[in-house]
Amino acid sequence: MSALQVSHVSKAFPGVKALDDVSMTLRGGSVHALLGENGAGKSTLIKIMTGIHKADSGSITMEGKPVRFGNPRQAAAGGLGVVHQERNLVTRFSVSENIMLDRLGKHSLSSVDYPAIAAEAARWLKLLDLDVDPSTPVSRLSVAQMQLVEIGKALSLQSRVLLLDEPTASLTPSEAQVLFRILRRLRDDGVAIGFVSHKLEEVFDICDTVTVLRDGRNACDSAGLKSLNRDDVVQMMIGRAERISKRAARSKPATAPYLELQDYSSTAGHKDISLTVRPGEILGLYGLVGAGRSELAKAVLGLSGQTGGEIRVEGRHVKINSVAEALALGIGYVSEDRKAEGLILLHSVLANAGITVWKRLANALGFLRDTTIASRVGPVLKKLEVKTPSLDQTIGNLSGGNQQKVSVAKWIAAGVKLLIIDEPSVGIDIKTKAYLHDLIHELAESGTAVLLITSDLTEMVDVADRVAVMDGYRIQGLVENDRNYERVSTAIMGLIHGRKAA
Amino acid sequence: MALSFTRIFDNDWVGPGLVSLAAIIGISIFQPSFLSPFNIFVLLSAIAVNMVIALGQLVIIGIGQMNLALGAFGGLVAISFVAVMELYGVPPFVAVIIGFAIGTLAGGASGFVIARTGISAFIITLAGLQIFKGINLGITEAQPFYGVPQSVKDFGNLSMLGPIPWLVLPMLIASIGMWYLFTRLRIGRYILAIGGNRTAAELSGINVTATVIWAHAISGLLAATAGMMLVARLQIGQPTIGDDWLISSFAAPVIGGAVLAGGHVSVAGTFFGVVIIAIITQALVLFAIDPFVVQIVLGGLILWAVGINRLRELRVAKLNERA
Repeated sequence: MSALQVSHVSKAFPGVKALDDVSMTLRGGSVHALLGENGAGKSTLIKIMTGIHKADSGSITMEGKPVRFGNPRQAAAGGLGVVHQERNLVTRFSVSENIMLDRLGKHSLSSVDYPAIAAEAARWLKLLDLDVDPSTPVSRLSVAQMQLVEIGKALSLQSRVLLLDEPTASLTPSEAQVLFRILRRLRDDGVAIGFVSHKLEEVFDICDTVTVLRDGRNACDSAGLKSLNRDDVVQMMIGRAERISKRAARSKPATAPYLELQDYSSTAGHKDISLTVRPGEILGLYGLVGAGRSELAKAVLGLSGQTGGEIRVEGRHVKINSVAEALALGIGYVSEDRKAEGLILLHSVLANAGITVWKRLANALGFLRDTTIASRVGPVLKKLEVKTPSLDQTIGNLSGGNQQKVSVAKWIAAGVKLLIIDEPSVGIDIKTKAYLHDLIHELAESGTAVLLITSDLTEMVDVADRVAVMDGYRIQGLVENDRNYERVSTAIMGLIHGRKAA
Repeated sequence: MALSFTRIFDNDWVGPGLVSLAAIIGISIFQPSFLSPFNIFVLLSAIAVNMVIALGQLVIIGIGQMNLALGAFGGLVAISFVAVMELYGVPPFVAVIIGFAIGTLAGGASGFVIARTGISAFIITLAGLQIFKGINLGITEAQPFYGVPQSVKDFGNLSMLGPIPWLVLPMLIASIGMWYLFTRLRIGRYILAIGGNRTAAELSGINVTATVIWAHAISGLLAATAGMMLVARLQIGQPTIGDDWLISSFAAPVIGGAVLAGGHVSVAGTFFGVVIIAIITQALVLFAIDPFVVQIVLGGLILWAVGINRLRELRVAKLNERA
């Protein structure tokens, strides 16, 4: 009998279907990988399992019995332990107090029996081979040790199912090996382990079965990993579109490059990056999560230090130390995380779209009038067909697609010459997505250089002129995009794998 | 040896403790009357009341919030305490129980609203400050109550032993009680867990709503205690009791090592924070320095304490980043 079975779960958020008829089966004594690119629906699925979100349809059973948890606490009590990607420990408290945090006493005024708690915690530490004194404050532990404390905490609740969300993201390879040894032992003890990771080597190293999600659907449902190879899995993650793009390949502009990177390296870890973007050209930047694409964009914007090589803008050698300097050079950035980094959700549409031009529009005394901004921003918003009752509307109330349009609009209003667009279509519906693609094309036609970052290979083939493939914070190669999906995706994957094979 | 030496300096109370000691030695060299039994008695009376006030704020700082209504709670309890004795002839012992009940209920109510609405404690207690002060003025019409029984006056003005006033007794009980609460009781650990990492506490199954209500009820109880101690000391039910608690109620815990963001407090450190503030205030009087200087010094002291607090927060942020 399966320890945890997800059957035909669907979940829609306003404007986007996050999960569509998704199934997954975790068995005791087995490690199961949950894979998918950003936005594929992995986190939504985990949130539904742990009761943070409610499924629109479908069911979840544990050992045959249907369960419906209202919140993570109930899930934990029901035997489903989750170790989240971000650490959830009280760092000033001791290891034993953290493990036993919900069992410090019967009622509020109970005295805490520290020796008993330390003894109970020590049992779990021993099981996890974690050789620390239970009274040590968590703040003194290494990240890997903290991770084990969280696993111990989940296990101490008698979890029969343990979900780990990117547990190795902040671990060194040798620390990860220690973690895997423990996971294998837990597996042999009959625990069902769910493992979310972007590192395929790890998945093949430790997992027995795999579920791959793509665009909110099962690309595969609990398949055995033995019969699959790396290529199969990557293929399932990024998809194989049958269609040829409706857009014809664009003629290449023969203009001088707008932005050139030569042997550029950064404090973020980029090495020997060389690429050029010309006015009117859409250069795609593709890579799996963790390849360093967004980080490269942010480094160019001056958010990381430059450690080597050269940046040239319109042929001139430049140093960019801040976003303000980048903007002065004509470089704009539409963030992947528009809620946290792109927009001020509580402010009006006008304020958000105008923020990049405030400085330029302010009059001699530094005064800024709404009508001045509106005259500059209004036409752009109209052109982009931003659906808003008025410019005074709070932007948080607009749909995801319209928010995305505003984040593009503010850079157009600023008259940037290079626009870096990071994952433009995450969390927006298909219609707006198509519209955004048209918009990016129009931008390029009007002479703007565009650097497009996306994990969605279909989008890449649809929109980009050339695709630079990144892996491990390096450029692995360039692919000319002739809109032939089959050929381009094979070439891109070849470049990603080239390094692995070597 | 070196290790144990640094360990000692790790304790939050050591720094403020040494500052207190240095201040006492320094001032008494210039002004030997500073250590006269009478002056010690006056100093200890002030410290006793201010310590209980500071503890009332400390428990809220621990959970990562602030209580602006602390003084309004104390003031309301102070005048209610005298009113029931004067108007209804309630014996002092029963009046004290009534005072405790009013403070605890007022605190619990404000905690309930904060926990249930999710509105920041700053706003709710700011409203609470106005409401409770308004009730206070409605009852008193801004006139003091004078009917304080002799036994209560004696408690606030007689010595228990040598230069040690009786007022030190409730301070000791409250301090030891709060120390035990923060280090040994489940509720105290939950308060600090929520202050330290609310998400983690919530995901671990701690009932955040109940814990917030508890913390504010305890804060109200301590404010009530301090309000009634002041009635005993002043021998009068002044409607203005509590008006000037706010600044020092934050300054003492912060000087004593509490992190304003929550999760870390020190009862002993807070005690020395109270002592430092009392000594500075009194020394300035002793040396006949203009009262406006007292204000400036207190303001500077708070900036200094908050600066240290910021350094501490940065250190914690670094830790959390690693986590």
